[in-house]
Amino acid sequence: MLKGALAAGVAAPTLSAFLAACGTKTKAGATVKIPSPTNPVTWPLSKANQAIDSGLTPKPGSTLRIYNYADYVSPRFLKDFEAKYGVKIRLSTFNDADEALTKVASKDLKFDLYFPSYDSLGKLVGADLLRPLNHDYLTNYDNLWPSFHDPWYDRGARYTIPYTIYTTGIGWRTDMVDTDIPSLGNPYDVLWDTKYAGNMAILDDWHTAMSMVLLRNHVANINSTKQSDLDMIRTQLLDLRQTMRPKVTISMYTDMPAGQYGLCQMWSGDAINTPYYLPKNVDPSVMRYWFPQDGKGEIDNDLVVCLAQGENPVAAHVFLNEILDNDVAAKNFGFTGYQPPLNKFTPSKLVADGYLPKTLATAVVEPSDFKTGYPLLQLPPASDSAWHEVWQEFKAGG
Amino acid sequence: MVDADDRRRPPGSRFIWPLLALPGTVWIAVLFVAPLYVVVAILFGGTDPILREPVPVWNPADWDFTQFTYVWDHIVGSNPFFRPALIRTVVYVGIASFVCLVIAYPVAYFTARFAGRWKGVLLAALIAPFWISYMMRMLAWVNLLQTDGLVNKTLSAGGLFDVHVDWLQGHAFTVVAGLVYGYVPYMILPLYAGLDRAPARMLEAARDLGASRWETFRRVTWPLSRSAVMVSLLVTALPMLGDYFTNDLLSGSPSTSMIGNLINNSVLTPGQTGQAGAFILMILIVSIIPMVLYVRSTRSGADVMS
Repeated sequence: MLKGALAAGVAAPTLSAFLAACGTKTKAGATVKIPSPTNPVTWPLSKANQAIDSGLTPKPGSTLRIYNYADYVSPRFLKDFEAKYGVKIRLSTFNDADEALTKVASKDLKFDLYFPSYDSLGKLVGADLLRPLNHDYLTNYDNLWPSFHDPWYDRGARYTIPYTIYTTGIGWRTDMVDTDIPSLGNPYDVLWDTKYAGNMAILDDWHTAMSMVLLRNHVANINSTKQSDLDMIRTQLLDLRQTMRPKVTISMYTDMPAGQYGLCQMWSGDAINTPYYLPKNVDPSVMRYWFPQDGKGEIDNDLVVCLAQGENPVAAHVFLNEILDNDVAAKNFGFTGYQPPLNKFTPSKLVADGYLPKTLATAVVEPSDFKTGYPLLQLPPASDSAWHEVWQEFKAGG
Repeated sequence: MVDADDRRRPPGSRFIWPLLALPGTVWIAVLFVAPLYVVVAILFGGTDPILREPVPVWNPADWDFTQFTYVWDHIVGSNPFFRPALIRTVVYVGIASFVCLVIAYPVAYFTARFAGRWKGVLLAALIAPFWISYMMRMLAWVNLLQTDGLVNKTLSAGGLFDVHVDWLQGHAFTVVAGLVYGYVPYMILPLYAGLDRAPARMLEAARDLGASRWETFRRVTWPLSRSAVMVSLLVTALPMLGDYFTNDLLSGSPSTSMIGNLINNSVLTPGQTGQAGAFILMILIVSIIPMVLYVRSTRSGADVMS
């Protein structure tokens, strides 16, 4: 026994020395800038990761690795891209930004392109994970709404191109929920209405789900760092869990059409996508989406960035430019339901052009919504940690 | 001084057994000890200040116990929000293992004793679920159990009754049923192997000596199959303890979270990855107890045989 313990004692430092040789990363003392509409940020250009030279073409036969949400890019577009440029695309998917950031940070997966939200941008730049863009490749950049040419989260668009725009509101099926949600004094209250217990879901995204509690309580700062706000979020989320038995997922766009539940917190893009997944015998007009009429709700846009760990940056740039092409954007919009901020997609014409039914017109994002809506921002590390602890408690179940 | 045993051994035989044990030892060192040490180094390690990713600390002298303390405090402290998931895990796994045994034992018994020439076909049928991935089988249940799925349609008897059971909306029953369905094949095979090896002449002797069918089962078959039952319980209960996607797919609700979900959530949340290590250590410790019991029971069985 003693001999065994002695051997283990000798082995532990040896093993630790071996594993230490495998590498440890520390970035003590590093700081992170937090952009916001009132505090636009111009990110410094990376010294370690240079922008690629102009005039290069993708190497035929090479592999482009893309990291994205599931069902968030048209498979037809991917096939067309492969055929057009002779590049093989390998698509990996994630469920939420936390999971994605964890895997991107490992650098081992060699992703060329990643689709984050702008609340991750400070971390990605701070950890030097991004490659600056060479705009010579982005000939379709002018197709974007003018307000996205020089965005507040990335002045000069040094690292990002915008991909989609969306609001976060409430989705429901009129054949499963008989409340007229828009006419309620506080429509968010319907998510706490026990009449729909066991018949509802909220988004499996800590910040989006938690900020909804703030909006319910008329707190405009959905990135609050106040302890009293966090306490309120905690109390009401735990109450929601206790009384409503919500499903916590991001699959609303398939679950709700399948009839798993009739009410949920929802992204507008998913709402637009729901009719596509409805059984043929169900009238698409049963699907509804609510977002505050005065525009004072959560509004965001997702981005595409070129990761420094990728081995195919030229194909990545060409892919980014294709995403900004009107026809490609139409394919992606048709498949994902998420609206691209391109001039061709005039919000007022989307219903008329048949992109979505009239009953879901509330899911269309207008440029003016970005003036009135509230974006999710990156939180300071201490608050980020505190918010995550509340979310962890909520998800652990009671 | 050389004893008589050593003199009888052929030259070089003292190296044979350690040599035979070498592949297994290397296997355990590379695939168990080293990964476990990585888990511990992450649990007691630090966090990257920007991405809040785990930073493993390899030297035990530098270990930081904050993450472990956090988990421990939230199991036994004043706000024990991890505790319900741990209790749920024990209850779900306990019930699911018991139900698996109730289903698996007769099937394995029938296959081993009475299947005759159909034994091969039955065995193939029992192995068939392994050809389809666990996740695919669970996804199939999602389709069957959704509100307008086949199960509710069947229960409504073609529209005669108004049945809208929300099976997938955070019900413990659905999760336990999913665990039973998913893991029952893992229990049948070791049970079958144990029952098939039980000497038929002992059963015949019991009947010849006047024991009824029930007495024969109670006093001969069951005691002979006890170690197979123990193995099959271990083989099914241990993976159930770390299971998270059965709950994710068939419930998705925090109200049915198990320890596997706590691990999965922690691993994927920046700043909380180390906490997953604490839960993993707990599962490991809890798993070791039945393992020790099993080893003790098989050893005492071997003593009796000798």
